[in-house]
Amino acid sequence: MELGRLEYLQALVTEFQVTDSPEAKEQVLANLANFAYDPKNYEYLRQLQVLDLFLDMLAEDNETLVEFAIGGLCNLCLDKTNKDYILEANGVESIINCLSSSNEETVMSAVTTLMYLTTPQSRQQTTALPVVECMLRFSLSASRRLSNLATVFLEDYCTPLQVEEARNLSKHTAVGIPLPKD
Amino acid sequence: MNILVYSFFFFSPQVYTINLESRYLLIQGVPALGVMKELIEQFALYGAIEEYHALDEYPAEQFTEVYLIKFQKLQCARVAKKKMDERSFFGSLLHVCYAPEFETVQETREKLQDRRKYIAKATNQRECFLLKKIEGPKKTVSKNSEHDCPWSTSGSCAASNWDPSCFTSSHRVSHNTGYASGNHNQSLLAFPQYDNSCAETSGYFGQNTSLTLSVHPGGHTPPTSLMQRTVLIDNGVDRFMPRTTHLQERKRKREEGNKFSLIGTSVDSTEVIIGPQLPQVPKVDMDDDSLNTSATLIRNKLKEVADSVSRTSVQKPESSSAKPLVKQRRRI
Repeated sequence: MELGRLEYLQALVTEFQVTDSPEAKEQVLANLANFAYDPKNYEYLRQLQVLDLFLDMLAEDNETLVEFAIGGLCNLCLDKTNKDYILEANGVESIINCLSSSNEETVMSAVTTLMYLTTPQSRQQTTALPVVECMLRFSLSASRRLSNLATVFLEDYCTPLQVEEARNLSKHTAVGIPLPKD
Repeated sequence: MNILVYSFFFFSPQVYTINLESRYLLIQGVPALGVMKELIEQFALYGAIEEYHALDEYPAEQFTEVYLIKFQKLQCARVAKKKMDERSFFGSLLHVCYAPEFETVQETREKLQDRRKYIAKATNQRECFLLKKIEGPKKTVSKNSEHDCPWSTSGSCAASNWDPSCFTSSHRVSHNTGYASGNHNQSLLAFPQYDNSCAETSGYFGQNTSLTLSVHPGGHTPPTSLMQRTVLIDNGVDRFMPRTTHLQERKRKREEGNKFSLIGTSVDSTEVIIGPQLPQVPKVDMDDDSLNTSATLIRNKLKEVADSVSRTSVQKPESSSAKPLVKQRRRI
C-alpha cells in the first residue's frame, strides 16, 4: 500500500518532466502540491526531490505553475526537515518574489510560507524590511483574507520597531506596488 | 498514461492550502422552505456548530437561501464540507464551500497555529514555537478544543442563531440577543465574492479521499451523544421560517383566498357551502311594474355575466392542471 503511494508519486513526477503540454504540467503540479498537504507523503516527496521541483517552478513565467508550486511549499514547509531544506536551498528569496504576484492565491501562500519558515536564524531574511513594507500594504487590502494574514504576520512575526521602520519608509515612497487582483 | 487521463478529468485544478480552509462554511442552494433547523441538524452531525445564520444579502438563486455555519473545529468543517457538498437537500443540490473571508484576525491566527501544531504532532517533532506571545491568548482556547468537538457547549450552539432578520417572534429575539451581542455584526459587513475555489473542491476531495481521511488519524467518528445534541437544538429553537418563506406563504394564502372567493360566486349544485351566507343584494322596489321588470332583467343579466367570468377563471387552473401541482410540490 505504502509502496503504491511512492510509485504513484514517482509516476506523477515523471509525467511532469516528460509532458510537453502546459495543461498537463499544471494538473500534475497541482496534484503534487495537494499531496504535499498530508505529512504522510513528506518522506516520499523528499525522496523524489519534489521540494526542488516546487522551488524551481517559482521562477516560471506561467502564473499558474507558480501558484501551485508556492501552494505546495506552503503545504509542506512546516515540517522541520522540509523547512531546513528550503532555507538551505535559499528558497526564501524566490518566495519573497511571489509577494509581488498579481495572483492573490500566490501572495497568500507566500505570506503563510514566510511565517512558517521563520526561525530565529531565518528571521532576518523572512522579515526583511521590504517584506514588512509589503505586509503593511497587504494589511490594508480590501480582501479580508489577505489583510488578516498580513496583520498576523505584522503582529506575531515582526517587532514593533520593524513595523515602525517600514511605516516610516513607506511614507516617503507613496507609490507602491499594486495590490494583487482578486 | 493513466495519470494523464486521471488528471485531465479535473478540468481546472486547484491547490488546497490552509489559507483556503476555514471553520466557516458557506452553504448555497438551500431551498427557501423554512428548513434552517433541518439544515443545521444535518450539519451538526459532523461536529459542534458555534454560530450559524442566513446571509440575506448574499447573492442567491431564486427561491434559495445562503447560510453561513461556523464550526468549532476546522476538522469538523472539513468533514461536513466533504459530506454535504453536492448533496441533495429538500430537492435542491447544496453547494458547500469554505468561507475564510469571514474569519477574524484572531481566527486566522489560530487556524495557522493549529496547522503548525498538527504538523508538529504528525511529524513527531516537539518543536518549541518561537512565538510565545501567540501561546498566551491561545491557551484558553486550545484547552477547550483539546477534545474534539466538545458537546457540552452544544446547548449554546443551539441558541446562537444570531441573524437579526431571521427572528419571527419576539420570544426568540429576547432569547438570542443576550448571547449574540458579542459577534453580532462583525462578520456580516463585507461579502466579497469568493467563488474561484469552490467549484473544484469536490474534485479535490474525490481524488484525495484516502489522504484527507487519513490526515487526522485520531478522527472524529460521530459521537454517541449525537442524539442529545439534536434534542438540545430542538429545545433551543422553535421551528424557524425565514422571511422569504413567510412572504411566499402569505402570497400563496392570498391567492388561495382569491380562488375560493371566486368559486364561492359560481353556483355549483354539488358544492357544499359551509358557514354564514353572504347577504343577498337587496331587491329594491321601484314603485312601478315596468321599472321593476327592467331592474330584474338588469340584475339577472349582471348575475349571468358575473357567473360566466368567475366560471372561466375557475376553469383556468383546472385546465392547466400541471401548474398548481408544481406549486404545491414546493410546499413540502
